[in-house]
Amino acid sequence: MKFLVSKDTAPTPLLRQLMIAVTIAMLLYLILDVLLHGYLIGLSPQAAAQTLYGNEEAFVEPILFESLLLQVHIDLFMALVSLLILVAIYLRMKHKERIRKGMLHTLFLAALGAPLLLVAAYFGGSFWLYGWVGAFYLWHLLALYVGVVALKRLIVS
Amino acid sequence: MKRYPRYRIPIGYMLLFAFFIVASGIWLFLLPQGLSETGSLNAALRQLGQSPAAKSWQQFVEIATPHLFAMGILIFIVAHFLLFSTRVPRYLSMRLTLWLYIAALADIFAYALIIAGIVTTGWIKLVTLAIFALLFLILFGMVAVSLLQ
Repeated sequence: MKFLVSKDTAPTPLLRQLMIAVTIAMLLYLILDVLLHGYLIGLSPQAAAQTLYGNEEAFVEPILFESLLLQVHIDLFMALVSLLILVAIYLRMKHKERIRKGMLHTLFLAALGAPLLLVAAYFGGSFWLYGWVGAFYLWHLLALYVGVVALKRLIVS
Repeated sequence: MKRYPRYRIPIGYMLLFAFFIVASGIWLFLLPQGLSETGSLNAALRQLGQSPAAKSWQQFVEIATPHLFAMGILIFIVAHFLLFSTRVPRYLSMRLTLWLYIAALADIFAYALIIAGIVTTGWIKLVTLAIFALLFLILFGMVAVSLLQ
């Protein structure tokens, strides 16, 4: 991502167009990622508990740990790549202003914590699922905010 | 990375993410090798070395395909930050990334040798996995050292 901080490419219209396109793609990815996790795991502590621990009354089998760990493994990778792209563009567009370091720390910590809390919930009980739901929504909302701010700057500039 | 202080936040977290990706990947790989049954890391590593879990060519392709993409891109993303480093000599980062890519390919394709029956034990997979993990940790260290400058 060196090209995003290089001053040589600053006035390039092609780079601006590419950054707009990739930011829109990342924003759409974030929205669909919420829907995907709604289908795969559930977006409330109750729904996620049913996925993780099963429900005898509803004849729902608990998820295999291997499947859960695979989801966590994929989530970590996807979150890393999407956040690196969005944050690199965001920082590039706010290069003359103070940045909100606290927000960036919260964004990355929530994105890292969400999958790890899901593993903690599998072993430690449903209490951790509240943390997972909170962290999951938090990092998606913050990432959407970062993407929208970057996109606004890209279009206005 | 003195010239880009605000990029330290994403780069620092990238190292944490990458560490957990590699750790969860190793955990995921060892589960069918006996870790899920015994719960013992030593027993799983021994079983992998002596008689690795049987896999089909389809399973191999299902695992190798996303990993060729993901490991290739992850090494690229982490290692390219060394371009900003003034602490790590360029020749060192070039050699490390070259060997890291070779180790990643060897790690991905080691199981193909087992499936094809060219090797009967799983030590080759264990050795390539260990080399890849070690080289990746060295890369983390080099990027972390560059961040601290």
